[in-house]
Amino acid sequence: MIYKLQVPGPIADVEEIRILEWHGAAGTLYAENDLVVELETYKAVIEVRAGQAAYLRAVLCEAGDWRRIGETLALLSDSVDEPLPTTTNADDLSALTVAFAIV
Amino acid sequence: MSEHDLLRTMLLIRAFERALVARPDHGFQLLSSGEEAVAVGVAAVLEPDDPLLCSGRAIGPALARGLEPGLVLAELLGKAAGPCGGRGGRGHIAQPSKGFFGAHAVVGGNLTIAAGVALALQQEGQGGLAVCIFGDGACASGALHETLNIAALWRLPLLLVCDNNQYAVSTPRSAALAPRNLSDLAAPFGIAGITVDGMDVVAVRDAAQRMAAHARSGAGPAFLECLSHRFTPHSTATRDTRPAAELAALTELCPLRRYADRLRDQGLLDPETQMALEAEAETRVEAACLFADASSFPEVSEVLRDVG
Amino acid sequence: MTSVDTEVPSRKFFFREAIARALVEEMIRDPRLMVLGQDVGAFGGTYREFAGLHARFGAERVRDMPVAEASMVGIGVGAAAAGTRTLVSITYMDFLLLGLDPLVNYAAKLRYKTGGQLRAPVVVKTTAGAKGQGVAHSQCIEAWMMAVPGLRVVAPFTPGDAYGLLKTALREDGPVLYIDHKRLFQTAGPVPMAETFVPLGCARIVRPGYDVTLVSHSYALVPTLAAAEALAAEGISCEVIDLRSLAPLDLSTLCQSVARTRALVTVEEGQLTCGVGSEVAFQVRQEVAIDRVARVGAVPAPVSSNPVLEAACLPDADRVQAAVHAVLGTRSGDGPHRAKL
Repeated sequence: MIYKLQVPGPIADVEEIRILEWHGAAGTLYAENDLVVELETYKAVIEVRAGQAAYLRAVLCEAGDWRRIGETLALLSDSVDEPLPTTTNADDLSALTVAFAIV
Repeated sequence: MSEHDLLRTMLLIRAFERALVARPDHGFQLLSSGEEAVAVGVAAVLEPDDPLLCSGRAIGPALARGLEPGLVLAELLGKAAGPCGGRGGRGHIAQPSKGFFGAHAVVGGNLTIAAGVALALQQEGQGGLAVCIFGDGACASGALHETLNIAALWRLPLLLVCDNNQYAVSTPRSAALAPRNLSDLAAPFGIAGITVDGMDVVAVRDAAQRMAAHARSGAGPAFLECLSHRFTPHSTATRDTRPAAELAALTELCPLRRYADRLRDQGLLDPETQMALEAEAETRVEAACLFADASSFPEVSEVLRDVG
Repeated sequence: MTSVDTEVPSRKFFFREAIARALVEEMIRDPRLMVLGQDVGAFGGTYREFAGLHARFGAERVRDMPVAEASMVGIGVGAAAAGTRTLVSITYMDFLLLGLDPLVNYAAKLRYKTGGQLRAPVVVKTTAGAKGQGVAHSQCIEAWMMAVPGLRVVAPFTPGDAYGLLKTALREDGPVLYIDHKRLFQTAGPVPMAETFVPLGCARIVRPGYDVTLVSHSYALVPTLAAAEALAAEGISCEVIDLRSLAPLDLSTLCQSVARTRALVTVEEGQLTCGVGSEVAFQVRQEVAIDRVARVGAVPAPVSSNPVLEAACLPDADRVQAAVHAVLGTRSGDGPHRAKL
């Protein structure tokens, strides 16, 4: 199954974030609780951790990019060679379970 | 300043103020008469570039710092020839190029400013010292305590001189301030503090010399309390509240007389020289009056100049 | 002056980053410039607006001070007057009151009272506005400060202006009060890549229009712009102007706009009595004789932390829209705007 990694929320007073740093690349396997990406809000950094095991398949934005709460940042999957969807519409995809902490 | 310079300057201040209040246009003045030794003793230890700040009781400090009496009088009378163009008057007279950073008429208002000036000197690293003269009336203000705290924390090159004439307008020190020695106010902050006889110009100068060296060295600020007496009411617009007996005793305490006596006793002053010094003071004051009287007021059209 | 933001190469920054950038540039240029305030050092500022300065420029130039606003401002003013330019950070505008003696009685008067011998090139930066923090942590009192001769007052709304106004303020040769707003720190926006200065006395037309001129500043532009958007759907075209500079005011831009629209609504988060809007309205009407004027501001009560009461106090888009309708003689739902007088 293909999952979308979304900007987590809601976070008080936060409408948009800036990608700070990816921890991994296409092909990286995350175990539960591994750090996937760090996002910057206006006042803090958010550590987004995998809430389930999954392979990172496609990184859709890079460090320095801005995204809003709920927007898709990347695609992940249960197995490493599952074919990715051909369309760019992420509405049909399931959201990856994540845990996030504000540091 | 030499021995004679100390007397010369005190004589100048006394003669200046006497001439000032004799004028019908003297305006609202706070006089330093009786407190000359404080301003002169402190000014005697300053380098040319050390900024001196003071309160609204500014005539003594300004003349002690070496400002030309004609310019001082012009400023007091609001003439354009004054260093501030007549806009500062006595309460705000300043001539920073002569080491007189200036007076500020808000009680205690120059204290935090002086700490800032000291900070700038510290950044410059040239051994400069900022000195601020204030009265006992400022010692209850939060500004003093805030200044003491920061000056101590940052070891600012700042000499705080409390000219304690023991009255804040009508309020005696004992009714306004819990500490008996105002120099004790510096102690909780770990600041070196001392109280001296403010009517003794040598005592003031010697203490100021030691404290200035301490503050200049980077060891931290210093607090010099000078016990003095003002010979006139708080201001030319204030009635005196002191008992007659207290006022009568003041002449015995005159710092000029005391210092002249001391010099004579030491064989450093003969009657002719003393008379010459007194005459010199009168001459300088007369010249100052002529200068100020010949000066014009600023033009009305200048009212918006230098607002900022 | 119209907006040039979209024409200039820019990058999106958080509001706080715009402030830090202006300071970094100016602290590099002027090796004496110091930042003084509460929590400005290693902590990087309450909103992280000073982040990185302490690490880069050191504790000598970025100094934490104890909570004592009179000495924070006084020391900043004195140092500036003696040749070390300073920026003093007063975290809450409410507590600027404790530092008003050195700012108003000394700094603003220094050049005048010394006949030009001394000046105090100090920026006092403070954050105004309500955001659930209670009656003594919510005020917008910039109107009081506009009336002080010798004191400049600026208030950015966008990160680009936060940068450009602070750059200008840090080059002024007298005291400048720079006021931002708690809620602006949540925002992000384009900041020019090249070094840029927003001049004093220069307002910006944020949204061109022709039926009514809405004049606002700082965070109050949020409900103002929201109202303009809603009114556009009703066929009313609002020209929205961001003052940016409160003292001096850009009367020219304001009058040119009102000369076209013939209607003026001012919007502020502060009180109406002796408010920014009162001053703007009167000054504009001296030049452009109109009688369609209204002011929107806070309700005359302290702004408490109570969420219901705080919201009731502050101007919102509905109140701005209502003011526009009152001034134009229209009603909500009137449909396409009827012909102008």
